[in-house]
Amino acid sequence: MLTYILRRLLLLPVVLFALSLMIFSLQMLLTPTQRLAAYVSGPEALKGGAEQVADLIEKYGLNDPFLVQYGRWIGGVLQGNLGWSETARQPVADALISLFPATLELVLLAFTLSFLLSIALGTLAGVNLNRLPDHVIRLVTILGWSFPTYVFGLVMLLIFYGALDWFPPSRLSQWAMTEVRSAEFVRYTGLNTIDALLNGNLPVFWDALRHLILPVVTLTFVSIASLTRIMRTSMLETLRQDYVRTARAKGLPRRVVERRHARRNAMLPVVTMAGMELAAMMGGVVITETIFDYHGLGQFAADAAAALDFPAVLGFGLYFAVVLVVMNLLVDVIYPVLDPRVRLR
Amino acid sequence: MKQFTALPLLAAAGLAASAAQAQVTNPDTLVFLWTDDVQSFDPAYISNTPSSYGTLNVYSRLLAYDGEQISEFVPALSTEVPSLENGLIVEGEDGSVSYSFPIRPDTYAHKVGLMGEDGTVTWEYYDDLSEEERANIEPGYGVITAEDVKYSLLRAMLMDESWMSKAVTEMMTSGEYTDVAAIAEDLTGAEVPDLDEAQLQQVYDELDQLISVEGDTVTLHLAQSFPATLGIMALPFGTSIIDKEWTVDMGGWDGEPTTWGDYFRPEASETPLFADENGTGPFMLEEWDRSERRIVLRRFENYMHGPASLERVVLRTVPEWTTQRLQLLSGDADVVSAPVEFLDELAATEGVKVVDGLQRVFGRALFYAWPLQAQDNPAIGSGQLDGQGIPPDFFADLDVRMGFNYAQDYDLLLEQVNLGKTVQSRGPTVRGIMGYREDSPIYTYDPEKAEEHFRAAYDGQLWENGFTMTAYMQEGNTLANAALSVLQQNLARINPKFRLELQALPAASIMDKVFADEPTSPLTYMGWGPDYSDPGGPLGAATYYLSPTGLVAGFSGEGYQELMREHFQPLLDEAWALNDPAEREPIYARLQEMSHEYATSMFLWEDYTYIVTRDWVDGYVNNMILYGAWDFYPITKSASE
Repeated sequence: MLTYILRRLLLLPVVLFALSLMIFSLQMLLTPTQRLAAYVSGPEALKGGAEQVADLIEKYGLNDPFLVQYGRWIGGVLQGNLGWSETARQPVADALISLFPATLELVLLAFTLSFLLSIALGTLAGVNLNRLPDHVIRLVTILGWSFPTYVFGLVMLLIFYGALDWFPPSRLSQWAMTEVRSAEFVRYTGLNTIDALLNGNLPVFWDALRHLILPVVTLTFVSIASLTRIMRTSMLETLRQDYVRTARAKGLPRRVVERRHARRNAMLPVVTMAGMELAAMMGGVVITETIFDYHGLGQFAADAAAALDFPAVLGFGLYFAVVLVVMNLLVDVIYPVLDPRVRLR
Repeated sequence: MKQFTALPLLAAAGLAASAAQAQVTNPDTLVFLWTDDVQSFDPAYISNTPSSYGTLNVYSRLLAYDGEQISEFVPALSTEVPSLENGLIVEGEDGSVSYSFPIRPDTYAHKVGLMGEDGTVTWEYYDDLSEEERANIEPGYGVITAEDVKYSLLRAMLMDESWMSKAVTEMMTSGEYTDVAAIAEDLTGAEVPDLDEAQLQQVYDELDQLISVEGDTVTLHLAQSFPATLGIMALPFGTSIIDKEWTVDMGGWDGEPTTWGDYFRPEASETPLFADENGTGPFMLEEWDRSERRIVLRRFENYMHGPASLERVVLRTVPEWTTQRLQLLSGDADVVSAPVEFLDELAATEGVKVVDGLQRVFGRALFYAWPLQAQDNPAIGSGQLDGQGIPPDFFADLDVRMGFNYAQDYDLLLEQVNLGKTVQSRGPTVRGIMGYREDSPIYTYDPEKAEEHFRAAYDGQLWENGFTMTAYMQEGNTLANAALSVLQQNLARINPKFRLELQALPAASIMDKVFADEPTSPLTYMGWGPDYSDPGGPLGAATYYLSPTGLVAGFSGEGYQELMREHFQPLLDEAWALNDPAEREPIYARLQEMSHEYATSMFLWEDYTYIVTRDWVDGYVNNMILYGAWDFYPITKSASE
């Protein structure tokens, strides 16, 4: 297995190189003046007119040949410099590193919750085919599937913040931000909940949790829909397998058959999907982050794309490629654990 | 189905939210939500209004604007406002002018330097020092002197980065040079990156001689009159005063004549003042979390005019309006950036205050360009006056421009699009700027006059054949869409053969069309405002619009530039050479009239702004020339009775 993992990891630079070449080529389809938009806020910011445009194009080397520009960029990347992001007002690498914990904290909670719920609900629906639990779960998943995240998030916010004032947006309250900024509070991970616990600061922990609840619930509600349905379908299929029938014929209790024999094997497609789901979430949950004023990678990537902030877009593309490769690898590694028939070579 | 589910819930929760009563939360902290961001805290680097929110509050200038007044000043780091009467402005017989500023004594920056036993200087917050420690402040380290003023101005000029720092160069050279690069090329024949030590010294000396320091007084020596000088000295950009010793200690320019080349046109993060400051303003930069897009300013207790009422100001970028709104209603936010369509609803909400119709020195217009790029230009269709396009010099014909101007329904735009909150633009100079007169001529919607001019244009060919052309506007700009759509319909009513097509493009594509070597966009919606209150000078309103080298000329084509060169430039030069406002005003008023006679652009309306706050927020001062930037010093936050 180690060889397999190493081989996959060695492929990573090739994937990243191909991806960077592709994104870079795409941006070069725009004219130098269009690409200059990354450095100015709009036409009205160019008070020097065409002369200033020419100066800026020269300054940023936007007229240089493709290979020169790509070489300049990739040279920086190899030295750990992904360029400067005008959107984030900091180096792209710094922006990615500083925003990663925020997204990780949100995604880990939401993903864990949605994964566990999906397995439980999918199993419940599968073993109660066409009975009340199955109908209720199907209804909930259809709602989750059809409810736009934007609407659901806003409804949550209006009820639980606007009306009840229980769960506010952003990552921390004003007082907690001041506390976290203080010299006494040590930032270990950048994850507010974990850092608060490590600092033994329960008020900050509860405050961070209070701010996480709505985005986590929103993400969970939206993402359990697909996973639950896959789990249900997979469960139905597995329950019809010969080995399940055999287990039942042996007289094993129903719960043991369903949980130990059927559920474990039924999880394989869910794990595949969950890996992709997690990767997509780690790429940023733009709408959820925007609605809940939660500054994470998703909002950063969306802002960068809207502002044609190419260094940021390229840097984010590389980051996301790494996430995808790692997630795929994780899924591959988990497969044999769930099903010993699967072997990695 | 989705809507049926969502809407009742939204409505119910929205009602509950708007009915929610909020206490004064964070009584000493102003939470300011906006959709903008600060570019840098280096006053010599920035040039846009959002960035000025930082420098306006953490730095001081020699002078400050007097409340809402855009042409009157009050002392700041200078103890007096120079004038001919107090002898601080001296006119030389050769036409030169000098401005002297006596520097306020014992003015400390936020951080001061204390000499340690090992001979190294450590920087400490002045507020945190005991009296004993204050007695040990290293002379000059965090103490603002006339030398700091000179250093600040020289640094802004030699850094040569922002449009507003270049304004300092233009001022100091009386408009002779637009930037240091031009000075270097003129003096040495070389470009800045290639200058050797002697050449660097040469350029430095050229600027150094323009600023002299004598005791506590700094004097600017201008070769000729530059009427906008005091206005520039009060702007929160390159004329903000920084502490030389601190800047040097942080790795900035050391003030030496031969080293400034290393600091020429830096990237944002290359200047030590990018995310740090040591100003003398009423607030200190406590934190700038660029990932969270949050800025925290803390009160400077030893501010020269006494401490501010607010202890902290938190500026946070929140792009989603609903989230901003809920935070305002709950009292977690004090100021929000509301879309205009929500103003009426907000004004009727308990606990929310809307101050509307605040004037700005910013005019909106549709700009004509000619000649246009003839090849590969879809905006002009066939490129002929055959009904399927327009010739590249379409707008060179005065009758065409006047016909277009009479075809616009200004009243409709004012009443229904701008909801009666502003007035029609009368030309380049708007209310508050010299040369503006209430009775100057303006265009009104008059289809008959429009037809008259269209029939006269191109010897009747235009009327006979009609035209097809494309006007571009920025995506999502509803005002541009309204102005062009009204024009489109009116043109079609006047003559069904007149086809104005509209195309919305991203900002990047608009730039591509507008700032090409030859313009490709025949008619462009944009807005410009002056950078100081004087209508003349390189950054004044009249120059922007009516000079052949001005902003508008920069993207309006050679034909427009020629028109300006021939008819407008002589008057601009004449007015700029004069010092007496009484003599200058009629000239600018005449230029305003001429912009109407020549139909140089389609002047639409004066921009306006508004603020939305909790009702416990008071003290906002709208200074038009600062484009409404919030000076947090006078702001108070207290429960309403």
